[in-house]
Amino acid sequence: MKAAVRIQQEDFSQDEEIRALQATSKRIGGIATFLGCARDFSEGREVSAISFDAYGSMALSELNRLRSDAIEKYGLLDARIVHRIGTVKGGENIVFIAAGAEHRVAALEACRWMIDELKQRVPIWKKEITPQGESWVTPHP
Amino acid sequence: MITVFFFGPVAERIGAREMKVAFRPGLRLQDVRDELAAQYPQAFEIACFAAANGEHVRDLSLPLGDNSEVAFMARFSGG
Repeated sequence: MKAAVRIQQEDFSQDEEIRALQATSKRIGGIATFLGCARDFSEGREVSAISFDAYGSMALSELNRLRSDAIEKYGLLDARIVHRIGTVKGGENIVFIAAGAEHRVAALEACRWMIDELKQRVPIWKKEITPQGESWVTPHP
Repeated sequence: MITVFFFGPVAERIGAREMKVAFRPGLRLQDVRDELAAQYPQAFEIACFAAANGEHVRDLSLPLGDNSEVAFMARFSGG
């Protein structure tokens, strides 16, 4: 079985991730997911692809800590996080987060919390590649 | 020797992903930052986060051991 937290160049399967999460416990009553995708339009410009750079070892360690923190904070039964790096074309998947809990509220809140925290504390940077050139993305609040 | 890593927009402004800084007893993370910021002011304008040995560091007075790995990083934009 693939690790619950991964950083990888290749695309991922949401179905596989959800199945892996479900397989961890039959006490799971709700799974909430977040899928981040590459938009082909940003700030009034066409975007053909997004290139990701990461401080790989630290990013993986921060993602693992994020998962553990979410499990503890929301009483999750399990959670999974997959983030792609390298070049991702418009419309493709970037990040997948899944939270499994006994009840929906914890799963939904934990999922929202994990993606918000990921943006704050995980050392990954995105650069938009447009027909006019390339530019690093300034984070939105 | 201290290894300094750069990523994303900071690496692009510096034109390198890694460099070495000589270790000396009493060296703090702030000293390394000051030394490099004087050489690469445009890169350090956006370097608002720091890490030592893979952990976030908020207090730059952190003393560094020899062979430490540090990073000066721009705001993150993953996800």
